[in-house]
Amino acid sequence: MAEAVYILCALTSLACAVLLLRAWRRTRMKLLLYSGLCFTVFTLNNVLLFLDLVLIPAGDLSLERTVTSLVGAGVLLFGLIWDVS
Amino acid sequence: MMKILLDGAVLMAYLACALFFLRFYLQSKDRLFALFSLAFTLMGVHNLLGALLAPTLDAERIHYLYVVRLMAYLLILGAIWDKNRAGRGAR
Repeated sequence: MAEAVYILCALTSLACAVLLLRAWRRTRMKLLLYSGLCFTVFTLNNVLLFLDLVLIPAGDLSLERTVTSLVGAGVLLFGLIWDVS
Repeated sequence: MMKILLDGAVLMAYLACALFFLRFYLQSKDRLFALFSLAFTLMGVHNLLGALLAPTLDAERIHYLYVVRLMAYLLILGAIWDKNRAGRGAR
């Protein structure tokens, strides 16, 4: 069950990233680019989550996971403030 | 200590993004922005629950927290699907 939740998190965030970046290529809307990049970093975060909690339970990647969350949300926030508003 | 500080920054970033999308929704009345705003609020809630509850949860239960995150991602997918469907209908 736990593995399924983590894998689904990674797959859904990857799907979001792909759909947003494809929409950006079609429309060239900046907001879609920043959202797509944000979800690309979230996908990396979810891969780290799977590595941390399932594959290497003895290790601790919690700081790396928090940093990737911050980078992902930071990219979107930067875009929202700098380019979109 | 560093992680707590960064967790707080992540929460703030999620909520700021949610607020931006809420503003876009109020300006444009486009449902996509409302769903994005809701999704980022949910990610913030997940982050807050993670910081508050994760130390008290055992390894067998911790994945329940991530269901909230999964719901947020599904909301984003639903929002994109809804937007694409509306776009096709308008053509």
